[in-house]
Amino acid sequence: MSVAKLEQLSQSVVQDPSLATGAIPTKDWMDIPVVFKPGDYAYPAKQDKVEYLNSQKGLNFPNAREWSPEDDDWKLPENWKEIIIDGLGERLEKFRSLKIFMDCCVRCGACADKCHFFLGTGDPKNMPVLRAELLRSVYRNDFTLAGRILGKMAGGREMTIGVLKEWFMYSYQCTECRRCSVFCPYGIDTAEVTMMLRELLHLVGIGINWILEPASNSNRTGNHMGLQPHTFKDNVDFLAEDVEGLTGVKIEPTFNRKGAEILFITPSADVFAEPGLYTAMGYLILFEHLGLDYTWSTYASEGGNFGLFTNNETMKKLNAKMYAEAERLGVKFIVGGECGHMWRVLHQYMDTMNGPADFLEVPKSPLTGTVFENSASTKMIHISEFTADLIKHGKLNLDKSRNSHVKATYHDSCNPARAMGLMDEPRYILDHVVDWVEMPENTIREQTFCCGSGTGLNTDEIMELRMRSGLPRANAVKYVEDKHGVNMLSCVCAIDRATLTSLMDYWNPNVGVCGITELVGNAIVLDGETRGELDEGLRTMVF
Amino acid sequence: MAGILEITNSYRKGCGMTLEEALHNNRYKIVDKWVEYTLSTYQASDFFRKEKDSFANPIGGTIRDSLKKIFSMLAKNEDASSFREPLSRIMHLRSVQEFTPSQAVAPLNAVKHITRDVLASDKETKALVTDLYDFEFSVDLALLAAFDLYVECRERIYKIRVDEIRSGKQILTDSACPSKALDNIKAIKR
Ligand code: SF4
Ligand code: SF4
Repeated sequence: MSVAKLEQLSQSVVQDPSLATGAIPTKDWMDIPVVFKPGDYAYPAKQDKVEYLNSQKGLNFPNAREWSPEDDDWKLPENWKEIIIDGLGERLEKFRSLKIFMDCCVRCGACADKCHFFLGTGDPKNMPVLRAELLRSVYRNDFTLAGRILGKMAGGREMTIGVLKEWFMYSYQCTECRRCSVFCPYGIDTAEVTMMLRELLHLVGIGINWILEPASNSNRTGNHMGLQPHTFKDNVDFLAEDVEGLTGVKIEPTFNRKGAEILFITPSADVFAEPGLYTAMGYLILFEHLGLDYTWSTYASEGGNFGLFTNNETMKKLNAKMYAEAERLGVKFIVGGECGHMWRVLHQYMDTMNGPADFLEVPKSPLTGTVFENSASTKMIHISEFTADLIKHGKLNLDKSRNSHVKATYHDSCNPARAMGLMDEPRYILDHVVDWVEMPENTIREQTFCCGSGTGLNTDEIMELRMRSGLPRANAVKYVEDKHGVNMLSCVCAIDRATLTSLMDYWNPNVGVCGITELVGNAIVLDGETRGELDEGLRTMVF
Repeated sequence: MAGILEITNSYRKGCGMTLEEALHNNRYKIVDKWVEYTLSTYQASDFFRKEKDSFANPIGGTIRDSLKKIFSMLAKNEDASSFREPLSRIMHLRSVQEFTPSQAVAPLNAVKHITRDVLASDKETKALVTDLYDFEFSVDLALLAAFDLYVECRERIYKIRVDEIRSGKQILTDSACPSKALDNIKAIKR
């Protein structure tokens, strides 16, 4: 009797068998169509942004138009299928890795439960193996003999509008974080498959605004925010004034200064939005403390590269601007701030796209003499490498007690950790500036969980999706909050600083978010400072 | 209410067991079924059920952990306000997943049916089914509290959206300068 009631309860709340609605699937995954509802897709790119990008030399963003994922008709160009299949063929030739990833998956399932989107939604199509299968099935159908002959029996699938819609849904429910690749015995990188899906979609005019607008801003004014040179300069000056207010030390940063030894580039969010602002104040304090001969650029005013989330050509172009500026200013090398994907572009793609940067010198710390051989080709070092080396050589006057209001933990941002291998330097710095603890082992270092909003998914219209995909990260933070009283989540990525703030607001509202250099800057004892008690470090309001 | 339960419990139904004891003795069985039912509302329910590491399986871990706590509170007929913490953890999950409001809270109600079923299926405890009124009333209270928490979570999401927009990122999409610049570019191209 009661079991019957239970069944009734299930039926009365379960409606259509759509994904993750609680319904039990009755069909093969291939046959379940995607349904777009507000909150589960990011807004399409505005037509003028796409047109602008398409008008740029070397960039290809055709078929600009107004369209909506919720409409049946996406107003695709008539020959859309041909464009996609040809585009795929072209890329299979061009990128050997893609062909290998398409062929060598043995469906062992080791990656299946490693994706934060899967863990937060329970949607099977968010298993990396199935995400890749969305492309692989079309590849099989059109590019393999077995697929051509056997079709569906060989796992092949014809490219249809339904498949295209699925591509859009699931290539924008992947943050290209590469966690899955860590567990794959063949090293298959589903992030690269997602990149290809997004590239192919751009060929038929399908992209999202939160990515294409920053990319076009970056192409035009040099940064995602679209800040023009004077605004960018004003913002940095403003932060320097804030530092003066807190420490009594006047800092006068320089901009576009030819002949400086170092060009410093960081995500524009650091000089514009909380809590990145405090990290930027940290940079200013650190460089002042060292008396570093460095300059900001109001043209290469963005470390981030949203081109990475669109296509190869855009990524290359946006990356090139940093080097063009370094060459113009005649600096010796570049120091990069706390950014995530900038480092992935640097370490994985820059050399073959724009490198080697022979007009620059191999980075050598002017204070310790350390030569950063790891950057011999890119000529760009991470602020954490630079700072850890300074601490190791005793070059910083640090007062750790200034961070005694903080009990930190450290979030390995996907790109510095997995795409760059930067894991120990930030930890070494933390050891010297703050009391901190690690999160559980299977959620850090190479196995770190994404913030859930990377690759341009940090837009507010998909907030629920972001909270779901960020759950595995937030869950580990909650554990150290409950167990050790952690009140600050530190990281070295600007997107993380913004997205983790929202994630914590939802899941763990007593935990704040900061950059490592904020903690460094707050611990530094500056010459001639007149600093009072700052209860909240660089965040203290002084009037 | 607690008083009524005590009276009910103190008078044993010839089976030598009070309701409280019966609930306690069957707690693993009931909670397991409850967890299973709740996780069956997810497509990947198999994985959520099997993986025991709560960092590798936060949905499964959170649901299991919280339902366990809630059940022991229900069985002891604790005050509804004490459900808040574990209930809130579940509602945080379900209010951002793709459930309708009723789908989000419905699994909580399932414990009524599961408990009845478990007690009724055993000769020893069968007679206690008629004493479940207070227990079921507590479930009702938990369900009502869950609705409030569901809405709180939704409101939190809206606030976070607004905060993000306010934090200044809207300059990305709404600032006047870039669009003006676009016009200039169009003019130059012509
Ligand atoms: S790259 Fe990250 S987000 Fe994408 S499928 Fe792999 S684990 Fe998931
Ligand atoms: S782990 Fe690698 S080989 Fe195994 S299913 Fe995933 S992608 Fe395929």
